Order: sequence, then structure tokens, then C-alpha cells
Amino acid sequence: MTTQIDAVVIDTAEVTVPAEVDDGRLLVGPDALRRATGWELKPEGLCRGEVCVPVRDRDRLTVGGRVDLAAFAEALHRPLALEAAEGVAVLGEPSAAVGGDPAGRLADLDLLDDAGQPFRWSALGRKKKLLVAWASW
Amino acid sequence: MALDEAEAASEWIAAAGATYPMLIDPDHRSADLLGIVNVPSAVWIDEDDCVVRPPVIAPGDDTFREFTKIDAEVHHDQLRAWVREGVLPPDLDAERAGAPVLSDDDRQARAHRRLGAYLHRAGRDEAAARQLAAANRLAAMDWTIRRGTLPMQGLDPFGTPFFDFYQEWEAAGRPGYGAPGSTEAS
Repeated sequence: MTTQIDAVVIDTAEVTVPAEVDDGRLLVGPDALRRATGWELKPEGLCRGEVCVPVRDRDRLTVGGRVDLAAFAEALHRPLALEAAEGVAVLGEPSAAVGGDPAGRLADLDLLDDAGQPFRWSALGRKKKLLVAWASW
Repeated sequence: MALDEAEAASEWIAAAGATYPMLIDPDHRSADLLGIVNVPSAVWIDEDDCVVRPPVIAPGDDTFREFTKIDAEVHHDQLRAWVREGVLPPDLDAERAGAPVLSDDDRQARAHRRLGAYLHRAGRDEAAARQLAAANRLAAMDWTIRRGTLPMQGLDPFGTPFFDFYQEWEAAGRPGYGAPGSTEAS
């Protein structure tokens, strides 16, 4: 049975898109996929900007013109955590992202400041930085 | 950078009264990108946002030295030399080569942790518990998951579940606890 829902896809940000829940799968249309992840399905494969990743089994990636998020994550070698019935999925970091981008830079992260307000890493500017990770736990 | 929920971090931030930016990363994206598996971890990042020194365990002082087995001042001295004179630690190449790389299971666990935290914030406790359990199964020695998810599971991060984990971790040889100033092999 297929159910139409508004799903939250969490990648670098949380984006709500129309989706279908089908037999434990979460399916999103091409436009929703682009809005949530920046990736598009093209004849040459999955593409974001100038980067394209070939898709070996396109029939497995799409169901009735919609993209199966689990197959999408697998094609990009990214972990996926999924609660299809809850309409929410997290796309984890690809292994190549560990340590930053291919040039070795840390991604511009969306964080919170000490007042709980949005803060972007890049706002720290061009200086040497010591990042100290701590926690209340 | 607090790897924490904003409410949990806020009282500590207020008490610290720091003059430098105190940031919160409830999604643990910095930890996922940098491979941070425990706290306190320090990462050196240069003017171009390139990682100069991968995560090392770096206590602020020697308060818990009996547990950490780390002389905190060693990291402090190395940090001052880098900031003031651009001098890098002598063993940095070996440190970089030996820096832990997150496995596929580690990265999958972190996706489960992030989803579990999202669901917990939304009050969807049953689904959150499923995701947090999956994270804990996959990353058994990762403090950001094993200890970091205890509050979301309604468990005390300073109570029995933590000490049970701690014993497992010590029996496994304290994995992921590399540090300058370490007084014994990690």
C-alpha cells in the first residue's frame, strides 16, 4: 500500500518534501530529491553540479518515476537511517568527507551559537582555529 | 563546540563565561566530518579551514589525570608553538597517518544517532529508541554514541550504564584515546 506524506530528508539541512511510503521504502520525486539533496537523476547518472556518479541499476533506483532513498544512498556510498512510516530519513556522511572536502577543507557547518541561534562556521573568518569538542554528558 | 543538545549545553556555556565563540553542534556534523569519537577532543584548523591536526584527546587541565593518563600541558605547549610561531608537533606525520578513520559501520551508526536525536527532539520516542539502539549496536566503542545518547534514552550518563560501557572500553584497550602528553600507550 502506498501512502502520500510530507517527509523530512536530513542531509546538510532538514528539508520537507512530498514523498510516498511504499512497502517500507521512502520514495521522492526528482524535484524533491534535488531540493533535499542537490542531486539530480540525469541520463549520465546521479549528478550534482559538475559531478556525476554512474548508476548501474537504474531500475532499482527508481520506482514509477520516483527515487527510492535507500537505493539513492547506496549509489552514492552514503549511509541512510530511515523511519519510512515516520516520514523521516538521514543521509549520513560519505567516507570521502571525513577530514573535509577533496581539497582538505572542513565543510561550512550549520551550528548554533551560545544563544541557540544559527551560526555558520565560516563566520569565524580566516584565522587559526582550535576546535574543542566537549559535552555535558 | 558542544556535541550536545542546546538545552544541555547552555548552563555550562553560561558558567564558563568564555570570551571566544561557544558553539553547539546538536547534529554532531563536526564530529562526523572530523572523526571525533570522544570528548574533550581538539582539532587544529588553519586559516583556509584545512585540518592541520586531526582530533586528539586534550583535557583543559589535569583534574582527571588519574583517569585520562594525560599531561594536559603538553598539548597546551604544542598549541602555543603552532599559533605563535607556526611550529608543528614533531610526531604530527605519524599522528596523521594513525588518525582513526570512521568505518562504514561507524558512519551508519552516526546516521542512526542523528535520526534518533531528531526523533527524540520531536517527542517520537519509540522511533527514536529504535534508531539510538541501532547506533549503539554498530559503534560499541564510540563515546559520542555510547555515552552521548544515554540522556536521550532516559539514562544517566554518570550512572551504571556509563560505568558498564567504561569497563567494556577499558577492557578493549581504551580505543580512540590518542593524545599528546599521554602517560601510557593508547
